Amino acid sequence: MKDFLIGDNAFIGVSHLSHDHARQRLKELHLETINRLFETALSCGATGFSFTVHPTNLRILDTLENVGTTSNLELYPILPYAAGYVRTVNEKGVGGLINDFMSRYSLADKAKLSLRVGFSTLTLDPTGMMRTYIDAELLPIVRVGGKLSTILLHEVVTDVAVSFQSRNLIDSYMQHVRDKYHVKPGFVTRNFARFVKFFRDVNLPLEDTIIMTPVNKIGFQMNPSREACEACLSEIHGVSVIAMSILAGGYLTLEEAVGYIRQQNLSGTVVGVSSEDHAQRVFTKLRGIAESAKEKT
Amino acid sequence: MKVTSARDIGIIGLGKMGVLHAGVAHSLSGVQVKAICEKNTLLTKLAKELLPKSVVFYDDHITMVEDEELDAVFVTTPIESHVPIVTDIAQTRKGLSLFVEKPLAVTHNQAQAACEAVRGMKGIHMVGYQKRFSPIFQRAKELVMGHRIGDLMFFRAHSFSSDVLRQGRSWRFAKGAGGVLLDLAPHVLDMVMWFFGEPETVVATRRRIYSREVDDYAHAAMSFRDGLQGYVDVCWSMRDFRLPDTLIEVQGTNGNITVTDDYVKLEINGQDPLETSVEMDYKQSFDTSVSFLLADPEYTKEDETFLSAIRTEHLPELNFFEASKVNALIDRIMEFPEGNRST
Repeated sequence: MKDFLIGDNAFIGVSHLSHDHARQRLKELHLETINRLFETALSCGATGFSFTVHPTNLRILDTLENVGTTSNLELYPILPYAAGYVRTVNEKGVGGLINDFMSRYSLADKAKLSLRVGFSTLTLDPTGMMRTYIDAELLPIVRVGGKLSTILLHEVVTDVAVSFQSRNLIDSYMQHVRDKYHVKPGFVTRNFARFVKFFRDVNLPLEDTIIMTPVNKIGFQMNPSREACEACLSEIHGVSVIAMSILAGGYLTLEEAVGYIRQQNLSGTVVGVSSEDHAQRVFTKLRGIAESAKEKT
Repeated sequence: MKVTSARDIGIIGLGKMGVLHAGVAHSLSGVQVKAICEKNTLLTKLAKELLPKSVVFYDDHITMVEDEELDAVFVTTPIESHVPIVTDIAQTRKGLSLFVEKPLAVTHNQAQAACEAVRGMKGIHMVGYQKRFSPIFQRAKELVMGHRIGDLMFFRAHSFSSDVLRQGRSWRFAKGAGGVLLDLAPHVLDMVMWFFGEPETVVATRRRIYSREVDDYAHAAMSFRDGLQGYVDVCWSMRDFRLPDTLIEVQGTNGNITVTDDYVKLEINGQDPLETSVEMDYKQSFDTSVSFLLADPEYTKEDETFLSAIRTEHLPELNFFEASKVNALIDRIMEFPEGNRST
């Protein structure tokens, strides 16, 4: 295991233990605190930042860039920011979402993204739309100067594509990420075993991807079951799998979580941290996995 | 629960809930989405490109159910069109099984029309109150029914979200078709009635905050046959609620039960405070793995229940008759006058 990522849950108000807890934690976090949290995490062995393209995360990236932290940071953006877009569509409809989205960019950027020629022409080609969308989301991220490690497709899109066996969508996405950004395409899924089966069934190269999926001792969000996901993990080789939800949303202790994931065939893990102290405990413990692996070899 | 026989499904309305049910149903063994009805040409164009070529697209639901040999349809359109679609289908394809997203209708009268349309028919009908499939709320109901906290005295409940922080422009904000009572409130009202039954009396107040035509907040105080009283607050204009948040807290003579989307807590009072016992069950302590997950496991469980009911020909608990009770309660709340819109 070599990739130890800072997750963004605490920064955008997500807690799988309690909504109350998430809101309270969010009130206590400020950009300055988050800066220090990143510095501490990096000094204790964190290697990257995994984040949805939420406006708060983009502000955090800007702040980190100002203090020079992004130069040591590998970036794992997850897109689209599904919850935010669903809220906008509920409020303003699909047209409102497109207008809101376009209003985020300067005229120069719009020109660069071909957005000015109008979405109407692009809508004739869904995969072209997807490419334009990815480029638009990536603009503010590539500017901050961190090292882009992958671009991860949000689980909502990944898992609908898996259900419908939408090979074309996945294939176009993978090609675009490889050709334009020269990184491995990534996928977040909460249906790990089905995801692997889908890739094999439609003959897509699993080895060329990075998969982020829940892996934890109690099988929280591991579908169809913990056993099926464990079996799948143990028989795939040369595939990068990053474990998320290792603490089962705060239900497990760090010791329990680490004790379990160190036995699994994983390339990395992502953990949301909410304070300097928390970051220090988590990444020091995780660094222990990498160090003991080195000793064995 | 496994669906063992082949089921051909139609989806009417390819918005957020349409995509969700399509994705879940299509993932289940022996089930396929065979047809989709969507009036929006952009969405149809996108879906045609991305979904399997075997899916047939329509812009008219009557033609879809006439032309396709479907076993069931999911109605996931804006609320005001639910009942017209249900009655159209009941007339066109008698006995076709129907799943309708919550709430069943805009008004109780409309909900009764839907009930009449399916009364005595062979097909299965169900409404998407998926919180009934949450093991946390199921556990809370067990605790309430099991008299673990003694006689029930009162409850307070809420459902909050940050969905509306300015005037919106979609159908959810049109008079008679949306508002917080039809959008956010149905789940918590269904839970309250699932726990305690239908209230005898209701007193309510409601107000607009950002919206011009619909309520953004409502408060309803209720009393029940056995003396239980309580209130429900619903507001979709709260800050910092990234996801909708539901809470029900029930006070009994021997303790209290609190249930949210994340946990259920049971506190039993002892002779003195030191003897109070607390049992806390987070959602992680329940087995929530499902054959295929999109959004929440409750959606998979509800779709499996619906499809299994078609196979076994047993009407599920959440049928139209049961779901119409929520519309009856919303109507009773709506009878109370609305407060003024703030500045």
